[in-house]
Amino acid sequence: MLSLLQVLSSGIAIGCVYGLVALSFVLIYKATETVSFMQGDLLMLGGFAGLALHLAAGWPLAFAALGAVAAVALLGAGLERLALRRAIGQPHLVAVLLTFGLGMMLRGAVASVPAAAQDMYRLPFATDTIALGPLVLAASHLWVVCATVVLMLLLAAFFHRTRAGLALRACSEDARVAALMGVPVARMHTLAWALGAGLAAVAGLLLAPITFVHLNMGFIALKAFPAAVLGGLTSLPGALAGGIFLGVAEALAGLLLPEGTKDVVPYVLLMTALLLFPQGLAGGRPGLGGR
Amino acid sequence: MKDRPCAALRARLAWAGWPRRWPALVTWALLLVLALVGLGADFAFGQVTLVATYAIAGLGVVIIVGQAGQIVLGQGALVALGAYAQALLVQAGLPALLALPLAGAVGAVGGVLASLPAGRLGGLYFGMSTLAFALIVEEALVRWESLTHGAAGMVVAGFGVAGWRADTPLAQAVVSIAVLLAVLALCARLLRSRIGLAWRAVREDETAAAACGIAPAAAKLRAFVVGGSLSALAGGLYAHWIGFISPEQFGLVFSFELLMLAFIGGARQLSGALWGALVVVAIPQAIAVLRDALPGDWARSAGLELVLFGAVIVGVVLFRPQGLASGSRD
Repeated sequence: MLSLLQVLSSGIAIGCVYGLVALSFVLIYKATETVSFMQGDLLMLGGFAGLALHLAAGWPLAFAALGAVAAVALLGAGLERLALRRAIGQPHLVAVLLTFGLGMMLRGAVASVPAAAQDMYRLPFATDTIALGPLVLAASHLWVVCATVVLMLLLAAFFHRTRAGLALRACSEDARVAALMGVPVARMHTLAWALGAGLAAVAGLLLAPITFVHLNMGFIALKAFPAAVLGGLTSLPGALAGGIFLGVAEALAGLLLPEGTKDVVPYVLLMTALLLFPQGLAGGRPGLGGR
Repeated sequence: MKDRPCAALRARLAWAGWPRRWPALVTWALLLVLALVGLGADFAFGQVTLVATYAIAGLGVVIIVGQAGQIVLGQGALVALGAYAQALLVQAGLPALLALPLAGAVGAVGGVLASLPAGRLGGLYFGMSTLAFALIVEEALVRWESLTHGAAGMVVAGFGVAGWRADTPLAQAVVSIAVLLAVLALCARLLRSRIGLAWRAVREDETAAAACGIAPAAAKLRAFVVGGSLSALAGGLYAHWIGFISPEQFGLVFSFELLMLAFIGGARQLSGALWGALVVVAIPQAIAVLRDALPGDWARSAGLELVLFGAVIVGVVLFRPQGLASGSRD
């Protein structure tokens, strides 16, 4: 029972990371109709940027984290201005190849820094544990869950209480009508990419204490695709819920199923979900989210 | 009376598009001669083999992306299925020539499995389900060690037919070009048939196609069957040419190479696969040359290769967008 609770807590924590990456993917996809294959690389970059600011430049951890997220968000906005907006209105293939290529360039750029390519890093508070009676939880897991909750509240407030959030939502619903209503659609696309890149960087920083910061940490973003699909591909809360569901399912599979099947579980779930619930697990209810 | 067979032959050739195609054939012959002179015979034939094999694999993507207008992100897994099927069948004692169609059939089944979950949704969902399928296949190839020897890989015997072995670069080039031409002819026929017509109709407008009595889901499924078997066929050949296969050769990057191949060549025409294959095979070598030309230790880092490869993809997409299949959206 105790071990089950511990496995669940780590599953929820890693699921929050999947969910955040899926959220960033869905946010970009909804607002700009662009399929981003570079969220994993932005995540990795976020982790390294935080690390560099903290260890190399000597900033306090909190400032380093904020700086890293801001830097990656700026990078996302810049890339949108320079290249990514060319993919708007084009077939999905264009965006897929473009973001894959940009992601490769980011990965290559980080890999050509010798210090980054050689070592794995951990953030200082990674090994702390918290004992709740007999239950011992990793501090990093609780930290991830808390940060995700706070982030969700902030995002919900942004989307429902600010003009920019409203404009972004209008843009996602129908860019043409939004443009007719005076929404600066091009600026909203830049904003969506900045938000998406920033969210991926947050996910990278949250992942840093759980796994290490290393060049291939971005591969975890592949699991954001099943999470996004489980959430219906166009629903922000759905993406997060899908991510947490995946994290828990994966953790339970690691506990119950034979060695090695754990990594396949998200993709098997993706294909099963498409087969059985084509509208996503949260879909099928008219008038809620969806398209 | 005497010129009658000749006229018939000319009519046949005209029907096959011969008069239109001779400039392309001359270009390819010139390229081959240039390669032979510039690179040395053995190396050039090795490259020809590689280009032809890539072109067969790329034809699978051209069919799915360019003709049927769907998206596929895990084509590398279908090539892997073909390669492993071929390796295992040959290992079990089957003649290589007999094993090739079977490898293609395995790819067809793979194509069905990969696309079936997204059949009703189409569009981006095909990308998602083929990607998931590819990741499952990759993991299975690593984990099923009793069959595939896992990450350590498998050694594959050379290609041979009834005592004759294709062990020189020239022989390998001849075999791959023969298979490529056969497959091209088959695909050209297919595109002229009702099946090809249905693909193009679905690509242009699914609703209109359905209104004309075409079943879009069936048409898409056929595209994945044909595309999967073509890629698996290429995988079967590739296994023989390389002589050693391991799961990591067929990862996500390979899938994207095939996508890029179709994109660069232009997925609307079958010949796009050939041009795309030429470019995709040439890119890593161009990068290696460029890297050696650059000064300093920085150029030795593995990162530079990634940056350059990524830059090529980005450059191609940004500056030559007309090569793409503009109907492949949703």
